[in-house]
Parts: sequence; C-alpha cells; structure tokens
Amino acid sequence: MTQSDATMTAQAGGKRLLAGTSVPFYWAAVGVLALAGMLITDSYVQHVLILCFLWCMVAAAWDLTLGYAGIFNYAQIALFAAGAYATAMLTLKFGVPPVAAIIAATAITALLGLAIALPCLRLQGEYVALFTFAIHLAMPPLIQLAKGLGTGGTMGLMGVPPIKFFGLTFGPLNKIGWYYLALTAAAISVYVIYYVVLRSRTGRAFVALRDSANFARSLGINEFKYKLLAFVLSALVTGFAGALYAHYTSVVTPKILGNEFILLAIVMLAIGGIGRFPGAVLGAFVVTILNELLRDAGTYRLLILGILVVLTLLLLPQGLASIWERVSRRKHKARTKLKE
Amino acid sequence: MTQFLEVIFGGIAQAAAYSIIAVGLSLVYGTARTLNFAHGALYTTGAYISWILTVGYLGLPLWLAVLVLIPILFSIGVAIETLMLRPLRGGKNWRVTAMMVTLGLAFVLDNANLILFGAVAKPMPAFIEGTVSIFGVTVSAYRVAVLIIALVIVALLEVFLNRTRFGWAVRAVAQDIQGARQVGIDVNRIFAFTFGLSVVLTGMAGLLLSPIFLISPQGGWEPFLKAFVIVVLGGLGSTRGAIAAAFFLGLVEAMVVYQLGASWTMPVWLVTLLLVLMIRPQGLLGKGQSEAAG
Repeated sequence: MTQSDATMTAQAGGKRLLAGTSVPFYWAAVGVLALAGMLITDSYVQHVLILCFLWCMVAAAWDLTLGYAGIFNYAQIALFAAGAYATAMLTLKFGVPPVAAIIAATAITALLGLAIALPCLRLQGEYVALFTFAIHLAMPPLIQLAKGLGTGGTMGLMGVPPIKFFGLTFGPLNKIGWYYLALTAAAISVYVIYYVVLRSRTGRAFVALRDSANFARSLGINEFKYKLLAFVLSALVTGFAGALYAHYTSVVTPKILGNEFILLAIVMLAIGGIGRFPGAVLGAFVVTILNELLRDAGTYRLLILGILVVLTLLLLPQGLASIWERVSRRKHKARTKLKE
Repeated sequence: MTQFLEVIFGGIAQAAAYSIIAVGLSLVYGTARTLNFAHGALYTTGAYISWILTVGYLGLPLWLAVLVLIPILFSIGVAIETLMLRPLRGGKNWRVTAMMVTLGLAFVLDNANLILFGAVAKPMPAFIEGTVSIFGVTVSAYRVAVLIIALVIVALLEVFLNRTRFGWAVRAVAQDIQGARQVGIDVNRIFAFTFGLSVVLTGMAGLLLSPIFLISPQGGWEPFLKAFVIVVLGGLGSTRGAIAAAFFLGLVEAMVVYQLGASWTMPVWLVTLLLVLMIRPQGLLGKGQSEAAG
C-alpha cells in the first residue's frame, strides 16, 4: 500500500465513523428507547430488550478489538464470563455489596485483559486468534479445577444478589428498573467506544494501524501502546457487561462458555459488519431478537445460527452496515447529479 | 514403573495421530494463509462418517470403508475451499472474515453432528484387538497400529511434498504465492487440493483415534488446539518438525495425565502454547515464515 493510499484509508475511516450516525442522532435513538421503556408493559419484551442492551456492550467491545484495532481476539466471551464469575464470587463468597462487586469485577476483567494482551501483542495475526481462543476453551476445565476457590464447578453459582443503590432494588422481577439500568450502561459504553475513543486521535491510530501497519508505524504511531489500550478498554466494557448479566440473571454457570454465547457474538458481528459502526450494535439487536424467536426451534437453533454466520459472511461480507452505506452513497450520488 | 511406561507409550501413539491433524492444519495455513477453525469439527465429522460406514450402518470392512472415506473427505475439503473461502480472498479484512467463516462452519458441523447423532458419545470398536508385549511392557495392539499407520501417512506425505511435481507446486505456493503464480502454477487449484488433503488427514486421524476417545459432537476442539500447538512448536510447513513436536508434547501430556489427572490436559496445553509462543513466536524448528500478512 502506498503512502497516499494509507492516508486515504485513514481519512475514509474517520469519515466513515462520522457518516455512520451523528451524535444528536445517537442520543435521539437512545431517547426513543428510553421512551419506549415507559410504553412497554410486557415483561417478556422488556426482558428481550434488556438482553439486547447487555449484548450491545459485548458486541461493541469486541468490535473495538477485532474490527477497529485489528487484534484477532477470540477471548471475548471468556472475558464476559470472567466479569460474571468475578462479581458472583465476590458477592456470594466474600459478601461484598453488589455495586462494589461490579466495580471490582470490571477492574479485575480489565486486568485480565491486560494479562492476555501482553503476550498476545508480541504474536502475529492468527497466533493471536488461536491463543485467545485457547483461553476460551481452557476456561471451563479451569473453573472445574478451581471449584475449591468458590467457582461452583459445573453446577455454577446461584443466587447472585440483586443490585441495590439509592434505595432501589434491581431484582430479577424489577424489569423496568433493569431496562433503564441496562439502557444507561449500554448507551454510555457504546458512546465511549464509538464516539469518544474511536473519534479521537486514538481511534484514527487504530484504523491506520489496521489498514496499513507499516505506514502507521513509520508515522511514529506506537502500535503496542494503542493495541494494549484497545484490548484493556474492550475487556473493561466486556467485564462490566458480564457483571451486570450475572446480577440480572442471578445465576452464573460454565454454560456461558458453551457454544451458544460465542456463536451469538460472532453472528452479531457477522450480520452487523465488522469495524463499521453502527453494524455491531444493530447486529446485537437483530441477533438477540432472532435468537428469542428461534427458541421453539430447539436443537436446530444453534445450527441455524451457524448457517447464518456462514451465509452472511459469504453474501454480505461487510454486514448490514454496508447496505446502509450503499444507500447513503447512492443518495449522495443522486444529489451530486442533481447539482450538475 | 510398568504402568508409567504404558502411559508413556499410550501418549506416543496418540501423539502420532495428533501429528497427522497438525500436518493437515499446517498445509492449509502454510499455503492458503487461512487458519481453519473447522479443522477439529472436520476431525469429528470424519470420525462420524467412518462410524456410519463401519459399525454404525453399512458394516463395511475397514479397508473398504477407508477407500470410500478418502474421496468423501477430499470432496468436502475442496467444496469448503472453493465455495466458502475463495470468494472471500482478497476482500477487505478477509483474514478476519475467513476465520469467522471457518469458525461458523465449525459450529454448523458440531450442531449438525449433535442433531444427527445425539449428545451421547458413540463407541467405536478397535479394529485390532489384543495386546503386544514390548520390552516387558504390555500395550494394546491397536495403539501400536495407530502409531505405525500415522507414521506411514506422514512419511507418504513427506515423499509427496518432496518428490513429486505437484508436491513442489504446493511447496512453491507455501513459500511465495506471487512467485508461484508467475511461474504458471494455478494457485487456486493448489489451495483446493491442499484443503482437500488436509480434511482427508484430519478425518483419517478421527477414524484412528475414535476407538480410543469415542466420538462426540464437540470432541474435535481438543485435538484442534493440540494440533495447533504442535504446528507452532514444530514450525510451519515442516512435517518432520510436526512429528518431533507431537512426540514431545504427547510425552508431556502423558506424564501430566499420569501425575495430575485428565482434567489438567487442557490447561497444560494452554500453558505449553503460551511458553512456545513466548520463546519463539514463529515456531521452534520452522523454516521461517515470510510475513503472512496477505
């Protein structure tokens, strides 16, 4: 890639971020969801949307490492599980109050992210993918081996206490409370990732490194520092989502590390589009709802999801976000034609 | 002491079978620069297909089952490469996309196997029964057979890669795609062929190991990870390196299982992977890999 090419991609990357959705539009969308929360009374619909919000955080955080920073990180669900287990163990075994436990779990997961990132960033491409995926695969046996430390083994941990603050209790039945809690957490996380971090110098450095690593390095961008930052931030958001998930469902089992969750996360990125905001976030909504609609399909559900990953990647390699872009590009073309 | 030697020998026999999986993985990664996450799922699929061919439904004798199995596995591999990976190659971010597709395929195969064959592991009888005594240590004849068959397969592969024109073409593509194209090698054909061959290798390993491990829908992930550690340790594109690495790791595993129990297998492999990658991010005995960034 030549120098001008690289500059172009970096610029296009920045523009693409800007063209995706503007800040007022983003908060308007969040506002609409907040209003919708008042109108929705069906607790099942509320439940599905809460799951959507939590998954948004996971998908956005993954998009940050995999899509923007170009790190082949497959430890995403392992980090999610780490957050969930950390808060469950802190509250159940050590009696830490839930809010403090969530903060601690988020910090622990961020540290774990740092511990995974340090060896990873010395490795090349696919080696990172394999190493991180190996962590995912090694986690269930490790949880089993660490049963003595209070991981609950294969049975998992039950009765994770509800979050309490300002006199409010967020029990599993307080759906409306959870709706706003999850919406707030997701809205802030997604905002920080896509609007604060990725639109800053840091974000442009990520895109430059991903699209033309050698050129970016020659400009003096410290690859190690930026990739480490991306990984740790991603782990932090993921751990937060995992901790919230643990308190929401009140149960944490090694099932989190089974086929379903990682498959769901992959479908989200595949359908939404990797490294193209708002792709991953849209993907999180589409896939969570789809997954609920497929509940009746039983054992066929995971098969269908798997086929969906393969088909979308083949037929729509850039995800749903690319349709969005195509439409806006066509509009733009039509407008320029009109001017001529 | 005898028990210890038995465990060690078991480890060596399994390691030989792992080295076939590893060589298959390394062939595809070395030529097409694709890390095939479905390699383990294809190992399981190979085992299930051979189960159908032999004890499951058709009751074919082993030699006939192998003759039928090889073309089936080869066509599956060629189909995956031409239909799923070729269209992606060269696209934007294609290495991430290709990895995601193979990971998606792995889940498709796992769940299809789960639906078709159920969650209960299928037993497969050993094709050779009885025991053999070597230096006073009694080992099952089947494990000896696995060891010999695996070594023969790897030797044949070595001959193919080093002594035939097609093998040279495969090695040329592994070294330099652009250069291979310039001297008139049909690169896509090599990609399809190596993928087919790689599925044959992993499927054959599935057949060989199924009497030892039983066949279960998600049983392929462990061999896949082990194969990757072997590839990393042995060096990309080096069949002899893969054999050496497989034996070394097989011994380590056997000793760990003997001392600590089977539940430590995966954590130990993970630690080994970490150590290997830290000591030499490019593999220990490898011929050196040109930057794989495509």
